Amino acid sequence: MTNVFEQVQKIIVERLNVEPSKVTLEAAFKEDLGADSLNLVEIAMELEDQFQKELSDDELENIVTVGDAVNFIEAKM
Amino acid sequence: MNIKPLVIGDLVAKIPIIQGGMGVGVSLSGLAGAVAANGGIGIISSAQIGFNTPLFEKNPLKANLEALAEHIRIAKEKAKNGIVGVNIMTASRNYEEYVRCSVKNKVDLIISGAGLPIDLPKLVENSTTKIAPIVSSVKGAKILLKMWENRHNKTADAVIVEGPKAGGHLGFKAEELDKLEDIPYNFDNELKGIIEVVKGFADKFGKHIPVIFGGGVATNEDMKHFLDLGCDGVQIASRFVATEECDAHENFKQAFINATKEKVSIVKSPVGMPGRAILNDFIKETKQGNIKVKKCYQCLTHCDPLTTPYCITKALINSVKGDVENGLVFCGEGAYQIQKMSTVAEVIEEIVGTKAAV
Repeated sequence: MTNVFEQVQKIIVERLNVEPSKVTLEAAFKEDLGADSLNLVEIAMELEDQFQKELSDDELENIVTVGDAVNFIEAKM
Repeated sequence: MNIKPLVIGDLVAKIPIIQGGMGVGVSLSGLAGAVAANGGIGIISSAQIGFNTPLFEKNPLKANLEALAEHIRIAKEKAKNGIVGVNIMTASRNYEEYVRCSVKNKVDLIISGAGLPIDLPKLVENSTTKIAPIVSSVKGAKILLKMWENRHNKTADAVIVEGPKAGGHLGFKAEELDKLEDIPYNFDNELKGIIEVVKGFADKFGKHIPVIFGGGVATNEDMKHFLDLGCDGVQIASRFVATEECDAHENFKQAFINATKEKVSIVKSPVGMPGRAILNDFIKETKQGNIKVKKCYQCLTHCDPLTTPYCITKALINSVKGDVENGLVFCGEGAYQIQKMSTVAEVIEEIVGTKAAV
């Protein structure tokens, strides 16, 4: 299995149409990657499907950076 | 025009028109009650609904919850047996409390846009209150309904589609609006796509989910167009502003009557989406830079008073109280088509066409 970050990165690159190099752990979805709330939920849903983990609404609210998303998933594994 | 009732679960509106919620204070019990009494669905806007009460300056949340309960009660009284709903913006701070208060006061329908109301099905559980999200794209409809299915195993009772010509906050980026403007009805393909998506969920849940279109619907011809496209009803807001029953100040209504096509413009909003409003001194000022916020009324979840372009609560309260040059006058694209004061009954009759009136 590839690591969580790589999978998350792949989804973000596909969904947001951004360069992989821009998708770092520190990158903020809204400010750095141009995501809106719809994109964020879409990405979260895809992560849930792929990792078979459910993010709570609070967690969803608190995802600001790519690293946040990775951490939430890793914490559930 | 062949007018069929709008059926949302066990709710039946003789006239398939939902009056769009208009905040702050434009659609309260006066307007919503009148629309419901005339066979449509009347919608109260919960946004800072307590603005006119003494408690508001001290404790806006408490003032708002008290006023919300009161307006629901009065609107239902005026509606006789008509249908009364509330529009609660997802971006509102204390969103859950407004929903719970509405449910407790037995509102018939809750409409939520300005964000994704992910938890709404859970909040109305074990009540008869129906829920209708507002979406503006196929993608938005898919994501929200999928989310509701995954998390709550529930679906919408109705879906409101707001197109690019709607008033107030818009579910489009400013660049998208530029592309969509001036081409009549070119949102139709997107709308058809949304109807398809909704049908998919309706089939899965074994029920019909009506789709209601709003945004620039101002005439009989407009309504016919959207019903022919497959919508179950339309949402109309601006047309109801210049009515005797509308809750806004006289000057606010006059601003709609006086508005010309050139005066209907796009403004940025602290909610984070562009909005459509009547061009005035206030909007010109916002273009010069941020307007300092003197007091925060805690209305939005993601608003920082230090960096926000202006205080939207203050701007909307100014206009609804009559200071229409120094406030924000949200309006739909069709606002310029309004020429005179009327009554709710007259507006509905004109849009539906006299022959079809019930």
